[in-house]
Amino acid sequence: MDHRNSEEADLVRRVQARDEIAFREIVDRYQSKVFSIIFGILRNRNDAEDIAQQVFAKIYFSIRSFDFRSSLLTWIYKITVNECYDYLRKKRVRKLVYESDFSEDDAQRMEASEPAIDGHVPIDTRLAQRDLIIKLLGKLSEEDRSLMLLKEVEGHSVEELAQMTGLNENTIKVKLFRTRQKLLKAATRLTHAKGLMRS
Amino acid sequence: MHREIFERLEDVLSGTPTDLVAKHLNDCGDCRDQISAMTAQAKLVQQLKPPSQVDPRPGFYARVLERIEAEGPVSIWNLFVESAFGRRIALASFALAMLLGIYVVTAERAAAPIVASQAAIQACSGANCAAPAGSSAGHGVGQASTVSMVAGEDAPGAVLSRLDEEAPNDDMLVNLVTYREQ
Repeated sequence: MDHRNSEEADLVRRVQARDEIAFREIVDRYQSKVFSIIFGILRNRNDAEDIAQQVFAKIYFSIRSFDFRSSLLTWIYKITVNECYDYLRKKRVRKLVYESDFSEDDAQRMEASEPAIDGHVPIDTRLAQRDLIIKLLGKLSEEDRSLMLLKEVEGHSVEELAQMTGLNENTIKVKLFRTRQKLLKAATRLTHAKGLMRS
Repeated sequence: MHREIFERLEDVLSGTPTDLVAKHLNDCGDCRDQISAMTAQAKLVQQLKPPSQVDPRPGFYARVLERIEAEGPVSIWNLFVESAFGRRIALASFALAMLLGIYVVTAERAAAPIVASQAAIQACSGANCAAPAGSSAGHGVGQASTVSMVAGEDAPGAVLSRLDEEAPNDDMLVNLVTYREQ
């Protein structure tokens, strides 16, 4: 799919020419998406707001480097996920939820708002699982991490991912397979390391 | 993992395996274990789905503009601060600069006594240190001495050192006075 000849490409070109109205349109179009991605990873409104602002500032400053090889959403998605991981790294947050930031009310609200993937799993276990998967995803490259999240969190099919990224379907399949294997290996190593620390 | 599973992996993980795949998984324990682990892992990743559509507070665009104005254009130096690779480059450069600095300082210190001794040799040769007392002819390096010598006369340093060792005679004093007058 050619990402150069679309309505979105025209919008990007206008932003590249520093058209403020076009930039506002991009913010309006993607702010909910960006905010949801960040909130899905961090589960903290204030942090999500701060990082979302940072994401759009980054988009504004670096949109001239956007080369139309992928869709704009894919590019924005990658920036958003990278900003989340930068935030986690900078703050040295290894646990997703830290004591000062997570009250009893938050826990109840989160309990009520969590998607019903495993409704019977207690909140503590779910938090630990989220912490684990964020750590594991942190072991991947930026590209692999975005691809995995686009597949599993956003629910895109292999065909859609191929269109979005400009790669062919077989490449996407191979990349996803390798990423899944890397995650399994990282999980094994992490479990092994934790076992060593406990013993 | 066998090829027939690998090719249909994403369908299998999304819960739509074909009969052929189901049969293979029934027979192949290795593929079954891998699929089981990958399914559990996919469920973990899916926990990062946001609970529902969430929006930023009103006035988000204004705050983005404020952020853009506050930050200004991205500096090239941010590369060295924000990315892990950039930080490693900066650290390596700093270490290299430190090593070069240490090398330069130690090399200069080592060179200082050599320069001093060369100057001493030159001065000494000019004064004919090695020559017998009373001899006035310069030799070798000493002939290019920075001290302009009058033929047949001793340099003041040599004269003074000889004054410490022996009682001055008239020739020595004449030489010293002549040198001062020059």
